[in-house]
Amino acid sequence: MKKIRMNLLFLMLCILLLPFASSARDVAPIVDTAWVEKNLNNPKVVVVDIRKVEDYKAGHIPNAVNALYGSWAIMKGGMRNELPAADDLFDVIGSAGIGSDSIVVVVGKTDAVPDRTDITRVAWTLKYAGIQNVALLDGGYNKWVTDKKAVSTDAVRPKGKSYEAKVNEGLFAKKDHVMKSIGNAVIVDVREPDFYKGVKKLDFVAKAGHIAKAVNLPTSQMYKQDGTYKDKAELMNIAAAAVGNDPAKEIITYCDTGKVCTAWSFMMTELGGYKDVKVYDGSTEEWTKDPQAPFEQ
Amino acid sequence: MYKGLLVDKSIIGKDVHLEENCTTCHKGDAKGPTRDVAHKGLVARPSKNIEVCEKCHEDISKSFKNSLHFTSEGQRHGVTGRFSKDELKVFNEKVFEKSCRSCHSSCGDCHVKAPVIGGVSTGLLKGHRFVKKDEGKTCALCHGGRVYPEFTGDYGGAADIHYQKGMICVDCHKKEELHGISAASYVSRKEVKERPRCTNCHKPGEEKTESARSAHTSHNGKVSCYACHSGGAYRNCYDCHLGKGSTAKPGFILGLNPRDKKTVTTLRVIPTVRNTFKPAGIEMEHFDKLPNYWDTAPHNIRKRTERTRSCELCHNAKKNFLTKDMLLKDGSKANEGLIYTPKPIKK
Repeated sequence: MKKIRMNLLFLMLCILLLPFASSARDVAPIVDTAWVEKNLNNPKVVVVDIRKVEDYKAGHIPNAVNALYGSWAIMKGGMRNELPAADDLFDVIGSAGIGSDSIVVVVGKTDAVPDRTDITRVAWTLKYAGIQNVALLDGGYNKWVTDKKAVSTDAVRPKGKSYEAKVNEGLFAKKDHVMKSIGNAVIVDVREPDFYKGVKKLDFVAKAGHIAKAVNLPTSQMYKQDGTYKDKAELMNIAAAAVGNDPAKEIITYCDTGKVCTAWSFMMTELGGYKDVKVYDGSTEEWTKDPQAPFEQ
Repeated sequence: MYKGLLVDKSIIGKDVHLEENCTTCHKGDAKGPTRDVAHKGLVARPSKNIEVCEKCHEDISKSFKNSLHFTSEGQRHGVTGRFSKDELKVFNEKVFEKSCRSCHSSCGDCHVKAPVIGGVSTGLLKGHRFVKKDEGKTCALCHGGRVYPEFTGDYGGAADIHYQKGMICVDCHKKEELHGISAASYVSRKEVKERPRCTNCHKPGEEKTESARSAHTSHNGKVSCYACHSGGAYRNCYDCHLGKGSTAKPGFILGLNPRDKKTVTTLRVIPTVRNTFKPAGIEMEHFDKLPNYWDTAPHNIRKRTERTRSCELCHNAKKNFLTKDMLLKDGSKANEGLIYTPKPIKK
């Protein structure tokens, strides 16, 4: 009963905060295929298809531009899913025809969780690069196809723009910052429970387990079976159960490479109104190589 | 049943090739009452015999017969210089025909069904439609060891800037290059005058910034484009032994181009070692005539790299330049001729 009351209270808080959370936005954080279809010729809307070039050429949303995932996240210094240099990133944004006032809808495939989180990693990177209006297409390109929407095979050559902005460093946390934040911030491990508990680990991660005092909020809990997102209230209930209801509390999410954790980061920030959510980009790939970094099972 | 091998019935009669009966190309007996009878004399890859395609595509078929894709001559050319006359004979009989030539491509490997790699095929490209191109299912498979994954970024690092901008193989490698250059046979892709060159699109003098123009002018004729614009590590293959294959690891090596000995370029370790062909009884009498490092065009081009960002990296730190200490153990004596030490910048 107490839990239900807490959740209701949190929901009311979310509703009260909604105008503030969405005030900087001209588009909802998650849009459906009908919205995209209606806005295909809206000059402010840039639909960015992040699938591989071959997949894009085989069929894509009409007018969507292709900027594959590897343009937004690269391997750097032996680490996966790292940010490109700012000038390279600005080139990607500009050459996709995106300007600071664009409404960007990120589209990718949604076959599995890693594909789905490609989409949120790109959205998070766009926010980092200074784009305010970033939205996700619910269910991705898969949903577009199952909804039997029009598909084009004409590759779009966008009119490039010069893009430059001040990057938002506050969206990412470095290892030192995470280290200092243990016990102060809410550190969120978004991997599946077996990885959090140390039963399983990926080959490139040195140790099994989780960052000391981290809570677990598995990413798979976010989706319905068809790859679309659960509704907002349900998502925020799940998140609140792990991270609490304080929108001002610092939250640091991590996974194994800094990609998957962008999903909950995006939802908490854009749907839930949490004000200080950071992604630990190095994640366990970096953390577990440091013998001084507290890690537990 | 694996659907990749199923013919899409809806296309029969719609594609000009499928106006013919299956048996026109695949032989067998269409009226055979049992599978065994119907498949008697079946030809699985009809275009292995180019004459099947030549009936209609006369010009392309004629030049394709001499293309490196069909002849695999490039593979022979790469090692011929290491052999004596007698060894070459043995190589041709025991190695080239049985090993190298087994992976030559036919028309159908690019236009109908994905090529067989390591005994595995992903099946028909599009339900047996005859397609003009589908690089991700054709080029990507045969050239999937190094070129393609470097190009798409799947080998690590970032994707090639051309791929990032939506270009795929045939956007640079035109059909003239892929189908063979003429009725004359040739042995190396370097002989193909239609092969892509960076300067075909990126004209010297048309750079957008003064710093780029100045860097290009001062390095012109001394350094290849790849040396500065290759984005990072590419695949190098080591220690190939006939029948056992080689081992691969990423690396980035700069040195003199073995073809001219004066241009600094990216070098790739090739897997031929002193005893590669020993199982075939070939000692390679002239092994030391050719180096173990060859100039390469890594398909991981970036506008900006650590070398375009800092002159010091080459001119001071000499990062990634081949040195005597780095040379392969028991490698060719020709390797030493590729070492180049960059000079500090005059201030």
